[in-house]
Amino acid sequence: MKYPESFDVIVVGGGHAGVEAALASARSGASTLLLTHNIETIGQMSCNPAIGGIGKGHLVKEIDALGGVMARAADRAGIHFRMLNRRKGPAVRATRAQADRVLYKAAIRGFVENEPNLKLFQQAVDDLLMDGDRVAGVRTQMGLEFAANAVVLTVGTFLDGLIHIGESQHRGGRAGDPPAIALAQRLREMPFRVSRLKTGTPPRIDARSIDFSMLETQPGDEPRPVFSLRGSHDDHPRQMVCHITHTNVQTHELIMEGLDRSPMYSGVIEGVGPRYCPSIEDKIVRFAGKESHQIFIEPEGLTSNEVYPNGISTSLPFDVQYAFVRSIKGFENAFITRPGYAIEYDFFDPRDLRNTLETRFVPGLFFAGQINGTTGYEEAAAQGLLAGINAALQVQGKESWSPARDEAYIGVMVDDLITQGTLEPYRMFTSRAEHRLLLREDNADLRLTETGRRLGLVGDEQWALFNAKREAVEQELSRLHDTWLHPARLSDAELAALPGAEPTREYRLEELLRRPDMTYDALMSVAAAGPPVTDPVVAEQVEIQVKYSGYIARQREEIAKLQGQEKTALPDTIDYADVVGLSHEVRQKLTEHRPETIGQASRIPGVTPAALSLLMVHLKKIASRKQKKSA
Amino acid sequence: MNAPADTIAAVATPRGRGGVGIVRVSGPLVESIAKAMLGTCPAPRYASYQRFLDAAGEPLDEGIALFFPGPHSFTGEDVLELQGHGGPVLMDMLLSRCLELGARPAHPGEFSERAFLNDKLDLTQAEAIADLIDSGSEQAARSALRSLQGDFSRVIDSILDDLVGLRMYVEAALDFPEEEIDFLADGESLSRLDALLDQLQEVFRKAAQGTLLREGLHLVIAGQPNAGKSSLLNQLAGREAAIVTDIAGTTRDVLKEQIQLDGMPVHVIDTAGLRNSEDPVEREGIRRAWAEIERADLVLLLIDDETGFVAADQQILDQLPARLPVIRVYNKIDRTGHEPGVTDDTVYLSAKSGIGIDALRAKLEAAVGYEAGTEGLFTARRRHLRALEETLQALQRARRQLVDYQAGELMAEELRQAQAQLGQITGRFTSDDLLGEIFSSFCIGK
Repeated sequence: MKYPESFDVIVVGGGHAGVEAALASARSGASTLLLTHNIETIGQMSCNPAIGGIGKGHLVKEIDALGGVMARAADRAGIHFRMLNRRKGPAVRATRAQADRVLYKAAIRGFVENEPNLKLFQQAVDDLLMDGDRVAGVRTQMGLEFAANAVVLTVGTFLDGLIHIGESQHRGGRAGDPPAIALAQRLREMPFRVSRLKTGTPPRIDARSIDFSMLETQPGDEPRPVFSLRGSHDDHPRQMVCHITHTNVQTHELIMEGLDRSPMYSGVIEGVGPRYCPSIEDKIVRFAGKESHQIFIEPEGLTSNEVYPNGISTSLPFDVQYAFVRSIKGFENAFITRPGYAIEYDFFDPRDLRNTLETRFVPGLFFAGQINGTTGYEEAAAQGLLAGINAALQVQGKESWSPARDEAYIGVMVDDLITQGTLEPYRMFTSRAEHRLLLREDNADLRLTETGRRLGLVGDEQWALFNAKREAVEQELSRLHDTWLHPARLSDAELAALPGAEPTREYRLEELLRRPDMTYDALMSVAAAGPPVTDPVVAEQVEIQVKYSGYIARQREEIAKLQGQEKTALPDTIDYADVVGLSHEVRQKLTEHRPETIGQASRIPGVTPAALSLLMVHLKKIASRKQKKSA
Repeated sequence: MNAPADTIAAVATPRGRGGVGIVRVSGPLVESIAKAMLGTCPAPRYASYQRFLDAAGEPLDEGIALFFPGPHSFTGEDVLELQGHGGPVLMDMLLSRCLELGARPAHPGEFSERAFLNDKLDLTQAEAIADLIDSGSEQAARSALRSLQGDFSRVIDSILDDLVGLRMYVEAALDFPEEEIDFLADGESLSRLDALLDQLQEVFRKAAQGTLLREGLHLVIAGQPNAGKSSLLNQLAGREAAIVTDIAGTTRDVLKEQIQLDGMPVHVIDTAGLRNSEDPVEREGIRRAWAEIERADLVLLLIDDETGFVAADQQILDQLPARLPVIRVYNKIDRTGHEPGVTDDTVYLSAKSGIGIDALRAKLEAAVGYEAGTEGLFTARRRHLRALEETLQALQRARRQLVDYQAGELMAEELRQAQAQLGQITGRFTSDDLLGEIFSSFCIGK
């Protein structure tokens, strides 16, 4: 049957990518349908129960700045907050929270159900409807056809998923859920390049069987960070402590003994796993000299007795899992509630995508999340938001939007994916961002919210909060710039309390704040330097902007130099065989990658500066010919 | 099309001892460079006689300065031309000064490229520009490769290894704070950083002494005893540097001679007769000869044309490092009556009479990289040293960040800058390469 109502945008999948995609599309005014095989699992955290971390926290803040919900859900579900890298500088500082799975899912469900332009429907999707080259909708398992102008696929590990535990395998999308085999086959018939990836989870343990009294505790950080600009401590539920334990020599021996029955080592698994999140068997084989590995015991929630022992993901047979888990301190009597497993799944080479996450081969079809070779809730959500907004913009006949590498981690991720592709599940790290000092958690809103507002993603309440913050920061910055402080106006006690060398002449407050040991609070302890701002978020922002101004200016200069390259488009129609002087190798790479701009081309490995010059000359030649013809 | 935001500079005249040499600069910094080097920016399109000043205000050279404000210039941007006395060393000093003042070395064909992009050249010239970029960058790549041989290459490799090692350590601490690898807590980063700084400063000590930049081409003359090596050296040097006798094994030590090829120094190393010998003194001479050959840029294998290329010559050839280019020089054609002549890798000459020596000189000039209008070894080495200077400065700032501010991410940023500079020599090192290093060295992952 054809469903009588048609939609602007259909989002397939209710994971973290699907949720942000559907919400972004709906918020910007497109009538949106979210199709999932199970409405109850919308917003499910299928791996570890945590949001944020280095690089990932940055993405969460960017999603928040663009009106997304991940940060707000994390605030409502967070039971243990940390601010990582607090002392290593603002750019690498990152928020991380353990989240209660039930609360998280409930928060997400609430956002999804209360979005006016968004409808939910429970059915697995088996096929795409096409109108010529263009996508025209989807067909569900029971043959129901939904028409739409754009489709966003966020199907995660469900594409032809294969779960491994020891020597046994079964098909599945996540433990307990069916895989999407028909859709995978359909997509494999299209010209996309497909490969396999692998990821894994540790066995879950019943907390009541763990002896926590033997274990190191890890409390949350104080002051406790908040994720969303719209969030506060009032959103946070009761806080818990986490625990840490370690593997030992005996654990490693047990694992080595079971290695011949590991699908990783017997060659059964063909997919590539992440280097930064290896299974415990991998760690022990590759770093044989290390006698102990950390395990973070993450609580699954306030109302659950399950814990997630982060650090021992495994696909070893269950008897080996049972034995090695019980060799670990505190786990002597551990009861495993769910075995650990590895899952292999299809992903599509992201080099076949545009920077809007629209596929190159099928106009109107967008991919987001693990289907593009990434891993992580935050990476998936960020892509979902980008794909969702672009699907909506396209349907509305508006210009697409994709942030540049110097604007957002989202931009870094998408550019990495479409120019480099990926060989392992792609995860965000701050070292991937060359403009890291500009892309901080603390300024995600200053970088993106104005754009989000223009795109229709940012509601009135968020916009007002943001403007208040921005204005307060600007006012305080200009006050610090315009206010001079003469040492004679300081009392002896104030002078003594001021960090660093005593000022000997009159200085701008801004200059004093720029000194190495000075902080905003220390400077404001001087009465004549006041009145200070009261909002600590504003004070922090002012301090960072003043202290980092030199570095920020330098990175901006670097960016300005590359602007020309980034803005010079390479037309889809370009035939690299026509470009005089290109080497065979470069020609092949450009043909394979089909970069959209000279800037993208410059980041493809093997493309030389000389090749870029030749491209520029070629573009100019084409442009001059066109001009001549029209003249 | 957007105008390129940076300023480029290059020597615009062919290399050599010519009477006049021109350094050309194009881009937005031209006026400020002119003011710094001339004291004032010359009037547009008027030739004026000026002193070209160094950083201390001392004259480097004097000559004609020309200023063409954009868009009425060759490239369409502001252009400055400094016409001084030719000679590679002087040209290099003028170019270096421009680089100090913010210009960067132009890529091959880049002036023409800018001219074309700014509508200063006709469409019909597009192909010619493409050729220029293509052939020029091939030539530059060859010169860069030659610059990266021997000691210099070893130093660069070692600096690169150490820098990657340090960055790996620092970035791992930033991206994986829960893995308990904290570089700020221990002295490891600082000692690694200091070791790196020492290495770089050593490079510049050597450069200042002239042993790195001004060393020119290291040429080895090798061959069997009495093949005429010393005679050839004397011919090239123009005086009796080595003792020439008819007794095989006369030249017992390694002899060095500096000769001029178009104003550039070429070190000729005459090796002792490379044969098995019982005489301890002669054996020492032979050992030194092999040590010289290890460091060489180019080998002239001297062959006695009377006997032709024999098994003993092949033996010497087999012992030479495979990376070394070899020119086979057939000597004594005054006796064999062979015509003098040159092919890709052979020369026929007589060291005694001097027949064919000019052809060899010409071949050597090409080997040094003096091809007109393109980048030679000298420029390549200068460019490499310039990149090392920037690397050093970034590392010094990194040290300050570490010691004075303990600011992890700012130190990391300076190290990234350092590597970007070094990358101009060693090729791009991506963030993914860095992550690969981290994952193979540390056991990361919860």
